[in-house]
Amino acid sequence: MYSYIVKRLLTIIPTLLGASLLVFLFIQFIPGDPASVLLGDAATPEDIAALTRELGLDQPLYIQFIAWLWNVLNGDLGTSIFFQTPVTSVIADGAETSVLLAIFTMFWIVLIGVPIGIVSATWHGTWIDQLAAGGAMLFASIPTFWLGLYLILIFSVGLGWFPSSGYPSITDDGGLANLRYLILPSLTLAAPNAALITRLIRASMLDVQREDHVRTARAKGLHSAKVVLKHIFRNALIAVTAAFGFTFAMLISEAVVTETVFSLPGIGRLVVQSILRRDYPVIQGVMLTIVLLYISINFLIDLVYAWLDPRVSLK
Amino acid sequence: MIYAAHFIKLISRFALVFSLMVLVPTAASWAGGILRYATVGEPPSLDQHVLTSDLATTIAHHMFEGLYTFDASNAPVPLLASGETISEDGKTIQITLRSGVTFHNGQPMTSADVVASLNRWGEHGARGGLLFANVDKVSASGDHVVTIQLSEPFGPWKNLLAFINGGPAIYPASVVGNAGKEPVAPESYIGTGPYMFSEWQPNRHVELVRYENYQSPEGKADGYAGVRAANFDSIRFIPVPDVGTRVSGIKSGDYDYAESIPGDLFDDLDADPDVKTILNGSPIFGLVFMNSKDGPLMENFSLRRAIQTALDKVPALQVSIGPDKLWRANGSFMPAGNVWHTESGTDQFSRGDAAAARQMAAEAGYAGEPIKFMVSTNYAFHYDQAVVFTKQLAQAGFNIDLQVYDWATLIQKRAQPDQWDLFFTHHGFVPDPILISVMNDNYPGWWTTKEKADLKAKFTASADPEERVMIWSEIQAAIYDQVPTMKTGDVYTYNIASPSLQGLSEQTLIWPHFWNVSK
Repeated sequence: MYSYIVKRLLTIIPTLLGASLLVFLFIQFIPGDPASVLLGDAATPEDIAALTRELGLDQPLYIQFIAWLWNVLNGDLGTSIFFQTPVTSVIADGAETSVLLAIFTMFWIVLIGVPIGIVSATWHGTWIDQLAAGGAMLFASIPTFWLGLYLILIFSVGLGWFPSSGYPSITDDGGLANLRYLILPSLTLAAPNAALITRLIRASMLDVQREDHVRTARAKGLHSAKVVLKHIFRNALIAVTAAFGFTFAMLISEAVVTETVFSLPGIGRLVVQSILRRDYPVIQGVMLTIVLLYISINFLIDLVYAWLDPRVSLK
Repeated sequence: MIYAAHFIKLISRFALVFSLMVLVPTAASWAGGILRYATVGEPPSLDQHVLTSDLATTIAHHMFEGLYTFDASNAPVPLLASGETISEDGKTIQITLRSGVTFHNGQPMTSADVVASLNRWGEHGARGGLLFANVDKVSASGDHVVTIQLSEPFGPWKNLLAFINGGPAIYPASVVGNAGKEPVAPESYIGTGPYMFSEWQPNRHVELVRYENYQSPEGKADGYAGVRAANFDSIRFIPVPDVGTRVSGIKSGDYDYAESIPGDLFDDLDADPDVKTILNGSPIFGLVFMNSKDGPLMENFSLRRAIQTALDKVPALQVSIGPDKLWRANGSFMPAGNVWHTESGTDQFSRGDAAAARQMAAEAGYAGEPIKFMVSTNYAFHYDQAVVFTKQLAQAGFNIDLQVYDWATLIQKRAQPDQWDLFFTHHGFVPDPILISVMNDNYPGWWTTKEKADLKAKFTASADPEERVMIWSEIQAAIYDQVPTMKTGDVYTYNIASPSLQGLSEQTLIWPHFWNVSK
């Protein structure tokens, strides 16, 4: 087990190096440059060339990459060209929003998606199952920007229960109460994802409940709720674990539509804005962080597999 | 069953936490003293010397001030200056500074700060080169007098000093003494204005707070001139990219002011008692630049005129902007009522005559070569108008290759003369025609004909306002004759505000301002 963990940790290094190089090259191939975006429409090509020199972007690509890599190895992701603050603090600020949003969303997914999936599988083929399937299809089909805007209209403009947009940090005025800014966005994000989890749990539980050990459990006279939760649901979770993990990673890195509708300062919007501005250090830093996030979640999923299913051995 | 009970218990705990959070009052109840302004995005920086972003100026002109500013009639009037004397030959300008003005760091503003700021702007600023091409030296003549020595008389000097966008904001010498082209960092946003920089949280907000020791100019508020009272404790400029959210935010009370609302919402919002609509009194206008360095349009003025003749600007404005109140098919580069307004050459503005255009193109030797037309989707009205123009040009027999890019790519490509023949951009209102981009020889398009050079030299050498208006009229006629660019019409953008805001003008002058405003 420990040797497995060490081996996996060692494989992270070449993966990150390769990803860094790919991201760096990808950025350089995009037309446009930060100097021209920064100076705006009135700038002449001479102005843009002068600022490009000042920013050091006229250096050969390999020198820029080596300098960036050396700084990264020393814990410095560089400085944002636009915000003129360290990339680490820009990412940390976005990460707070994204991680909390992902946690809230996962909470709704577990609260809504898991019970409906269990109910749907337990009473499969009945009107309850059909109702759950229809509801899941409906929520999976609603575009998040549409749902988000309607939630704002109903709960912010109409009822005044929640703020319409934005998210002040929990370290700012308001403290933990600022988390209420994340309720509508997390519900918006949860709707399609809960539907997906519902369908996955239902399908997985239907597979498991046909297995011999379930039949044995029922034959022993175990209470049906115990059979469902302990013998079927727990085993069904093994197949759903990866979906939970990758949904969580996706919620952090790819919630750009919801973040835009609710004006949340999250990672997804940061990536898109940075690409539009050609803020190279931020793009590289964020992409590196996202790669690290996916690798870590993948690693954790493997560990959770082993915990859920003792037959899985990690070597 | 015990598992189900645990599950329900866990859910109940979370539900309790959520309920408590919901019961906490929402944003509207802690709004006192803060103005919340929903912006369309984030500015690239707030350094006024090197940037011409309107959003940057909307924020920054609350904290940075120049020697002069504009009154409601767009006439330049003193702000940090108290007055000036000009030598008889027009080459020596002595500007006296207001005394008692301090920077946000507490240091008094002196002529040394003004000299350092003007020199940095002249060397590295977005618009400084225009004035400094004629400046021999800027020097301090005592603590509160600055002398600008010109090589030749330069008529627009005061307008250039008054235009804060890409203009000569006054910073402490310690900030700009060694600054180059790179924008100064946020910790050096030190100005003299009624609000001072507090913090910039990326993607969250830019916050300004009231400067308690602000020395306001005197006199009745008039445009950007006169008394400036900072009534809010702070102003937060919050990026809210989605327009639906900006509108909802005003209605729900989360924001007090929101910018860049699309034309198709205007009629509904104008009729809504819960929202106040504020037109921008100074229009922006679309421009289609032609390439004077390369391609089929280079020096072929007849072909350019054929293209100009094919275009009918009205349907493009109707499609891209919407309500009649928000656009004018105005061929003059300056709006009606402005001192620079002239109809010279504007009979060619919007002919929309495909048959005449086809014949003119044939006479100009056009044989169906592809004409590369670059446009960006970052600005919806650019793209919408470009699509209409492409169709009109096709009807007149032009082979238009419409190339759609994001804005950053378009800016890079337009610097390469072999990459394009036409590109679409827009221009904000400027108080002096010398600031219009087509007057800049180095601006992509590179209009540098002898006729232009002669007229421009006369225009900048004259200090007589009436003579300058006459010369500008000749320049506008030359633009319609040589067609370095085509104006596509005036667009009146509008913003929305909470009706609770007091002191807002019915129209903004150029950028909205929130001194003398309260709620």
